[in-house]
Amino acid sequence: MQLRFFLFERHRDKTALVVAVALSIFLMTRDDGGKAATARAFSAVLLGPAVRVGAYFDSMEELRSENRRLRELAASLYHERERLVRQGRERDRLRRLLELREKSPFRFLPCEVIAHSSSRFHQAVTVDRGEADGARAGMAVVGYRGLAGRVTQTFENTSRVLLINNKAIAVSCRDHRSGVVGILEWERGNLFRLEYVGREEDVAPGDTLLTSGLGRLFPEGFPVGTVFQVSTEPGNLSRRIGVVSMADLHKLEELFIVVSGEGWDAEAVFDELQRREGGGETP
Amino acid sequence: MRFAKAAIAAILVFLFQLIVVGRFAVAGAAPDIMTILVVVLVLDMDPVLAVVTGFFLGFLQDLGNASFLGMNALAKCLVAWGVARTGGGLVPESVPFRAALVFAASIVNDIVVLVVTTGFDVPLILVSFFRYSLLSALYAAAVGAVVFVLQGEIAGRMVRAGGRR
Repeated sequence: MQLRFFLFERHRDKTALVVAVALSIFLMTRDDGGKAATARAFSAVLLGPAVRVGAYFDSMEELRSENRRLRELAASLYHERERLVRQGRERDRLRRLLELREKSPFRFLPCEVIAHSSSRFHQAVTVDRGEADGARAGMAVVGYRGLAGRVTQTFENTSRVLLINNKAIAVSCRDHRSGVVGILEWERGNLFRLEYVGREEDVAPGDTLLTSGLGRLFPEGFPVGTVFQVSTEPGNLSRRIGVVSMADLHKLEELFIVVSGEGWDAEAVFDELQRREGGGETP
Repeated sequence: MRFAKAAIAAILVFLFQLIVVGRFAVAGAAPDIMTILVVVLVLDMDPVLAVVTGFFLGFLQDLGNASFLGMNALAKCLVAWGVARTGGGLVPESVPFRAALVFAASIVNDIVVLVVTTGFDVPLILVSFFRYSLLSALYAAAVGAVVFVLQGEIAGRMVRAGGRR
């Protein structure tokens, strides 16, 4: 009776504590199997979603850093891809240039554009071949797509090339399909006008224009442009023919100076130009 | 009703401890907010009820941790008994005193846990105690102080709202 009073009345809290401590120690010392394991497994199932939420936030951190790394990688790969695309295009261009060079009856001097003209109305480029390489004023300059211009000035190791999108240059052209001849004059951008073609002449959109070789300023047979518009205005004797140039004259990189070839003598052109300049004529 | 509220609070705090607290560790030390909950709940309780509450909160923690089953129950029932004996009645409204109680409770809790987990390896206990437990206890005391301030604010508002009615 006294013990009961001592334990459950006078030291009630201490008794509860001792019981709780004893129970805790009992739980710790007993084998972690059976019902305790079941309880833990059950709690693990209940806590699973919460733990997964925690893991989700952990993985968010990892994802964030991984995302940062991947962005950096993507940026470098993007630049790498751009570089490869650029090289691929260059390779294609060079391959076409090589084909042109091998198949053509002309003798070419390969060159590379090293500077573009800063003037909007005086389209010209500087190439990395000069007198030392055999370049002379008057020589035609072509790209793999077609005619690009003419050498107007030569230096020891460089040359200045006046492009055909220039008011100072007029190119005698022949319609590849019908043989109609006209003079190509620059209008704007890559657009030209084929002049001096009569109303009844057979020129149609889609026709390809080649250099005619007449006037001997440009060698014969190089593609120059494609007709995209043909119209006849009432009262006019000639037709209005719009032409777009074959070569993109604003993006020239690799070119060929036509040194010589069948039926075309650069020396003669040079002499002719010299003669005209001496006589005050415009080329 | 009070028991239900305490049970819900215990589960929420337990989940918070499990998921969030680890992310706010400072120098590897994170507060044991279950200990703070024990202090908050048993501060004004009868010591017997406090022991039972502490035991069950600790047991809940044991079930969720892959540690010794009963270890947290032992620590929390000792903490609860100590807090209930010291009591909120001593300096009832003092936040620093209550924060000090949390600090002491956290120390006791950690000592019990260290003793059990290290198997009475005194050097290891000392190293862990000075490396982590003190910092954790300080952290817990700071968090506890915030909790007590918020608790006081909420209680004050409820009293004022009741007065206006």
